[in-house]
Amino acid sequence: MPIANIAALGSTRKMLGFSRQTLEFAGSTVADLLRQMPTRDGGSLYDILVCEGKLRSDFAIVVDGLSLKADQLDLQLHGGEEIVTLAIIRSLAGG
Amino acid sequence: MCLHGCGIKVQVVDGVAVKIEGDPSNPDNLGKLCPKGNAGLARLYDPTRVLHPMKRTNPRKGLQEKPGWVQIGWEEAYEIVARELGKLRKDDPRKLLCAIGDFQRILLWGWPAVFGSPNFFTSLGNYCGGSYHPVNGSVDGSFAAINDYEHCNYWIQIGSGDGFSSHLHLSGSAKRMADARMRGMRVVSLDPRCSVASAKADEWIPILPGTDRAFVLGMAHVLVHELRRYDRDFLRDRTNAPYLVISNGDFLRDSEGKAQVWDLQAQAARAWDAVPRESMALEGAFSHEGVKVRTGFQVWMDILLENTPEKMEAVTTVPAETIRRIAREFVDAAQIGATIEIQGKTYPYRPAALNYYRGSQSHANGLFDNMTYKLFNMLAGNIDVPGGHLGVPLDHRGFFISPGEDGMLKPEPHQLHPAPEFKYPPDSTHLLEWFPIGFDAGQLNAETVLNPERFGLNYRPEAMLLYHSNPWWNMPETDKIEKIFHSMKFVVAIDIQETESTQWADVFLPDCTFLESTLLNCLEPPAVTGHALRQPVVKPLGETRDAYEILTELSERMGFRDDWNDFLNIVCGYTAKPKYLLDPDKRHTVDEFWDRYARSIYGDHKGLEWFKVHGHAVRYRTPEETYLPFGNLRIPFYFEFIKRTGDQMRVKLSAVGMKDWPLDNYQPLPFWKTSQVIEDGKAGYEYYGITFKESLHTFADTMVMPWLSEVSDKDAIHGGILINPVTAGKLGIQTGDRVRLTSPAGSIEGAAQVVEGIHPQVVGVSNTITRQVITNKRVQAKGTHFNRLLTGSMLYTDSATGGLESTARVRVERQGA
Repeated sequence: MPIANIAALGSTRKMLGFSRQTLEFAGSTVADLLRQMPTRDGGSLYDILVCEGKLRSDFAIVVDGLSLKADQLDLQLHGGEEIVTLAIIRSLAGG
Repeated sequence: MCLHGCGIKVQVVDGVAVKIEGDPSNPDNLGKLCPKGNAGLARLYDPTRVLHPMKRTNPRKGLQEKPGWVQIGWEEAYEIVARELGKLRKDDPRKLLCAIGDFQRILLWGWPAVFGSPNFFTSLGNYCGGSYHPVNGSVDGSFAAINDYEHCNYWIQIGSGDGFSSHLHLSGSAKRMADARMRGMRVVSLDPRCSVASAKADEWIPILPGTDRAFVLGMAHVLVHELRRYDRDFLRDRTNAPYLVISNGDFLRDSEGKAQVWDLQAQAARAWDAVPRESMALEGAFSHEGVKVRTGFQVWMDILLENTPEKMEAVTTVPAETIRRIAREFVDAAQIGATIEIQGKTYPYRPAALNYYRGSQSHANGLFDNMTYKLFNMLAGNIDVPGGHLGVPLDHRGFFISPGEDGMLKPEPHQLHPAPEFKYPPDSTHLLEWFPIGFDAGQLNAETVLNPERFGLNYRPEAMLLYHSNPWWNMPETDKIEKIFHSMKFVVAIDIQETESTQWADVFLPDCTFLESTLLNCLEPPAVTGHALRQPVVKPLGETRDAYEILTELSERMGFRDDWNDFLNIVCGYTAKPKYLLDPDKRHTVDEFWDRYARSIYGDHKGLEWFKVHGHAVRYRTPEETYLPFGNLRIPFYFEFIKRTGDQMRVKLSAVGMKDWPLDNYQPLPFWKTSQVIEDGKAGYEYYGITFKESLHTFADTMVMPWLSEVSDKDAIHGGILINPVTAGKLGIQTGDRVRLTSPAGSIEGAAQVVEGIHPQVVGVSNTITRQVITNKRVQAKGTHFNRLLTGSMLYTDSATGGLESTARVRVERQGA
């Protein structure tokens, strides 16, 4: 089974209960991995981050430096990837 | 003190900094230094600087009320602030209103968001960048823009001090401008006032404020309809100008949603990527399935038909023949069709460009202003090519380039944060959620905080954080800003010196100056890229502390240091380089923070210690980084996405009952339309009031620095209200007479300075003046406060971008000698 190095930031860290962890998972896609990441409320990270098969716009997943688009949850993982999950913070501004 | 990061060297004798000079090894400022940099010592050693945490003892608050500061320790200061803000955070974190103006520490701007409040505004950015940055980001993924100093031969400067007195990295830019002039570059400056740029230009064209767009539309008319000279290849091949537009303003799309162009060979509409470029129509109206369609370029051509130089003369007061002559000189200099080889690669060569900034686009129709200037440059095909108009990225990460729809560059109107999503009731007091392509319209606080129900806000702010920000001085509607301050239960200030706004503070937390603190800086460098280290040259004076340390300590005491670290992980880009992620459970020192930041960008061999030895890692941007950064992607000529965004906003706002909210500026192409500030003339406000400043000052901080104040004291134009001799004669005004200016928002008074160098219908008020709260006795109070004349409501705000109108219509009255 492939292994992913997970870093969870912000609210995803609180949902998962860890900030860094190496996870072994069954399957081969980002969606597979998310389904096997249990959250403190008893569900999976997939349940929270994904809506109608797409990544919600208020969350982001970065795989080896590449920020996934909403419809890229079927991205193939080969093992050893660095994956960061985070909630989008919108309330910045400036000029 | 300033946004930019000039390389400097500081001479220190026996632990005392005695001299600052430019670092000649840094290609950003080329060893040059502006007056602000030279005067850094005066700020560091200002005897009235706040060096210890202080708390207020006078419960009465106001501009004229002495706060009754008493010195306290950091522990007590932190305890008070964490207790008061912590209570608020538990109640409703949105009740914290944050004004932040420290542009060098831009990485810290997200602290309010981590606290839980969307209410962050700079109190500054809406003046200059409100419409400017979104359009730059939409056109080529840049944050700012500048003409190509190295190759430009004909430079039209509109309402900007670039290369002369202000804007992007002035010290180096002034040298680059001087070098370009020495090799023969011609400069034409359009400005209501004979500014520094105008005085040094080959030609100064006085113009009415807020009408620069009309001048440029007139020139575009000349190129398109009279001379018929424009870069057809650029418009057809590198923009969406050939895409077909239907009657409602949308692109014609096929069943797959692909934008259509007109295939001249097939005489039919086909998908943009199915037609060879040589067969793609740039101009024309066609019939598609019985429906009339026009190319985006044709739509603007039709708009421009009305903008004859004669009509634009009536708007601008610039003679039609001058508009025609400048247009002709510009297109002659542009050398459309020419190429140039640079480092073995051939680029289009367009050595003529129009540059602009605050004065010409900080208006209530600022979106149209910016779009017009970009489109005019596109007519010459000069966007991001040698000699032309170049995008300037926000920082070292370069242009925001990614593919969008229809072969286009993805528009990036927001580069400091993700696009705000619509929300009703809104969360933010500056209604960020209602400006999906705009910036923070901080001026709207004057409307919303005092009347939250009118805008659907279901709470009232109760506390303020001021971090190097002086809303009282910097924002319009001063009286309303005072009312907002009075309505606050608690105000905390992080700053170097007392200001008008800190008069309302309950606790003052003293920050370090740039000579006492560590930071890697890279912000809007026009010709270079890379970071310069700002490092302590002396130990922090008194008990001053670095703002990073202050905000981190407050985060820790209020229980969200983990989220603060995670936020910094995101803005520092560590999500793409997880090995550098800050540990949410650990407190990182200032040096650890910047060391990690340096290594994440330059590799583990170039950490903070490397920068302490070498000072900077700044280099010139390569031609590949500078020219045509968007590659084969097309850039927008026809801003369909703006029009579409407006359509979506109309539906969303109507659904929540906000049918009267103005949305009229969500247009795909710019045109001439009047604005409230022009209409105010009909109500008896005969003259235009403008403000101006020079390289001496940035924002308001520097006005109370003795050295800089002394320099501006020596020039009479900074102490008075500039009036043209013709106007002065008509009104019976002489130099030295007391003059009152009255706008729809308020009145100010000052001493008249009768000068030739200002348009007869305009009065000018220097912003290079002293303020009202002056602690240093060597700074003389003088001048007046222009912002009192401005109005912050939506009538004076660009409805699409939130950009603020910076001109006021005024009555001018002599008060006596």
